[in-house]
Amino acid sequence: MGTRENRFQPGKSHINRMTTAGVQTGNTGGIESPSHDRLVYITTCFIGHQVEVQVLDGSLFTGIFHATNAEKDFGIILKMARVTKAGSSRGQKNISDSVQKPPSKTLIIPGKELVQIVAKGVPVTRDGLMNDFQNDQLHDIMIDSSISHSRHVDLERELEPWVPDDDNPECPELDNTFVRHWNRGWDQFEANATLFGVKSTFNEELYTTKLDRGPQMRELEKEALRLAREIEGEDTQDLHLAEERGIHLHDKFDVDEETKYSSVYRGVDDSGYDENEDILDPQNCQTYGDVSDSLPNNGSQITSRFSTVGEVQSTHFSTSNDFHPSGALDDPSIIENNQTNQQLAGSNYTKQDTEKHMVYEQNHTSKSEESSFLPNKESTDTGLSATATAFAPTNVSSKAQEKTRSNEVSSTSESGNAAPTAASGPGLSPSSSMGSLTSEKSTLNPHAKEFRLNPNAKSFVPSSPLRAASPVSDASFYYPANVAPAPQMHGMPVGIGMGPAFPSHQPVIFGPQGTPLHSPQTYFHSNGPQYGQQMLLSQPRQVVYMPTYPPEMPYKGRDF
Amino acid sequence: MAMDGSSGDEFAVGCLLSIKTTFGDEFEGQIITYDRPSNIVVFQEGLKSNPQSRRNIRLLKANYIKEFSFLGQSEDPLDLKKCYLDLNSLQSKEDAAVRQAEIDVERIGVGVTAEAQSIFDALSKTLPVRWDKTVIVVMNEVRVSSPYLAESVTEGTPAANERVRKVLELERRRLQTRGGGQ
Repeated sequence: MGTRENRFQPGKSHINRMTTAGVQTGNTGGIESPSHDRLVYITTCFIGHQVEVQVLDGSLFTGIFHATNAEKDFGIILKMARVTKAGSSRGQKNISDSVQKPPSKTLIIPGKELVQIVAKGVPVTRDGLMNDFQNDQLHDIMIDSSISHSRHVDLERELEPWVPDDDNPECPELDNTFVRHWNRGWDQFEANATLFGVKSTFNEELYTTKLDRGPQMRELEKEALRLAREIEGEDTQDLHLAEERGIHLHDKFDVDEETKYSSVYRGVDDSGYDENEDILDPQNCQTYGDVSDSLPNNGSQITSRFSTVGEVQSTHFSTSNDFHPSGALDDPSIIENNQTNQQLAGSNYTKQDTEKHMVYEQNHTSKSEESSFLPNKESTDTGLSATATAFAPTNVSSKAQEKTRSNEVSSTSESGNAAPTAASGPGLSPSSSMGSLTSEKSTLNPHAKEFRLNPNAKSFVPSSPLRAASPVSDASFYYPANVAPAPQMHGMPVGIGMGPAFPSHQPVIFGPQGTPLHSPQTYFHSNGPQYGQQMLLSQPRQVVYMPTYPPEMPYKGRDF
Repeated sequence: MAMDGSSGDEFAVGCLLSIKTTFGDEFEGQIITYDRPSNIVVFQEGLKSNPQSRRNIRLLKANYIKEFSFLGQSEDPLDLKKCYLDLNSLQSKEDAAVRQAEIDVERIGVGVTAEAQSIFDALSKTLPVRWDKTVIVVMNEVRVSSPYLAESVTEGTPAANERVRKVLELERRRLQTRGGGQ
């Protein structure tokens, strides 16, 4: 009895003959009869497959089918076989309970012992075999499930969806912990201390700006609350916003979880903003081209991002006011101007800065002034409050950022603008931002003349290249890689991320504090990557405030 | 397919039968073939003739059929036009299977309890382990012997020892809860 592989060749040809001719071809007494051929064919399919063989005494052997003696008694050869069930000779006991024995490399089962061979999932046709082969090849790739040998470990128990216990007023659900009035005063630390004697070392001020709670904050708090209420009460079509505000936009069931909670924005508004998401590439004029394309569409959106600009300190206000009569407020033209000047280090930026600033100040000054310390809040309230409100959260949050230490600026501004609406209402604690506002000296000019948009103003062309931004403070800035081109219009190259995503050739100018620019030289941020030529070089000029504003984030929701 | 003899008629290709073997196995299937000389019947399990390529096949020696009942007649389960074999791929399939089986063999301890084996399996998910008789050798330096408790962890650098201890305790706990939850 030997291996039968060589037998399969003629067997195979027999099968072929069988398929074509359909006649019995055997002449050796049935050994080559079609039925026998089929048997041979099937057993050939078993090669390499895991089979279970039952023998006379009832034992079951599991192993890899290697060969059979097809000519004689159909004895079986298995490789790596082991006993899975002991036969009657040893009693019917489960083999796993007993001491395990290593499997035999080769196991020969004589034909007369053979009772049954069971093979599961055997590919019988050519396609099946090909698939099997390919699958086996894939096994050489280490996939997680094979690395973890999950099949060797007991399966976890059957998972069932969690069903909450009956609503017990003493055990409030997570969703509405604070809804019930008796829970309003819930203090987690207190509870923990009483229940478990755990003393908390939580100090809120470690995680956020120190608040200056005092009487003079009352006014600001009230103002912030008013803004918050206004925003939260707004109607919106955006699913996410609606959900936060408790407005049920779509009560039909066609809104699935993905639509509700996915961060992939699939609204029709996406089109305009996609351009802005391109990584800013100053070498690529396209980027700036995008700016002009997108600007008209995204006026409102961009303004939100530049809300911080709106808050520009007094120095800037005066600057912008100077340009008031001359600056053109025609966006595309401004941008085109910028584009032409783009190659001049510095010039376009500043020009952009001032001009864009003018454009947006119209929208933002009101807001910024409102939420800033300016006493003349009332002046800009009218008419613009609708738009202004939209940017309140970003305003406030970004204000907070400006005033606080720089290491907070980027992250908070980042988050603040990332979800200008989503995070704004409930997430933004008015006191925190207010506190931060007061924690640092106000640099706003309380006497600044209110900005009034002059649409007929002449386009401004700077006479000399302007200077770069103020030195960056020590904190590291985070900027996402998708810097909007809009900052370019602003004249202030937005600080791009310091992280690995940062394309190193992007201009980086930032001055969070609104402090006057000091060094006339190219400023190299101490922490961040060094940029060469793209850094703004210019001689010292009047103070140009370069606020850090987060690069454009994909606009989500506020269509104002 | 030509069968002679009365007994052959029952084993015509495509017959749907319900079989009971002398060992108590019961199954239903379709006849693929019956080989007289060896007295082996080849069944395809399941009654519906699914055209898919993977099937559960049973080779049964006819003399161990205790009883059977005829359920019906269907067409040939084998599509002869598609029956081709690539011996090379079969060979490599076997080689791969043997290789895999050898690897699997390494994982199973000889003469160890099932509990020990499950601990070994659990440890092997995150640590390189092998058997040394009945001792689990982790990262080639830390040894865990019977009864495979935290105290049984010996040798190895203190850091490695600690780590193995922790993992062992965690896995034991998990096995316990899982065993209890089932």
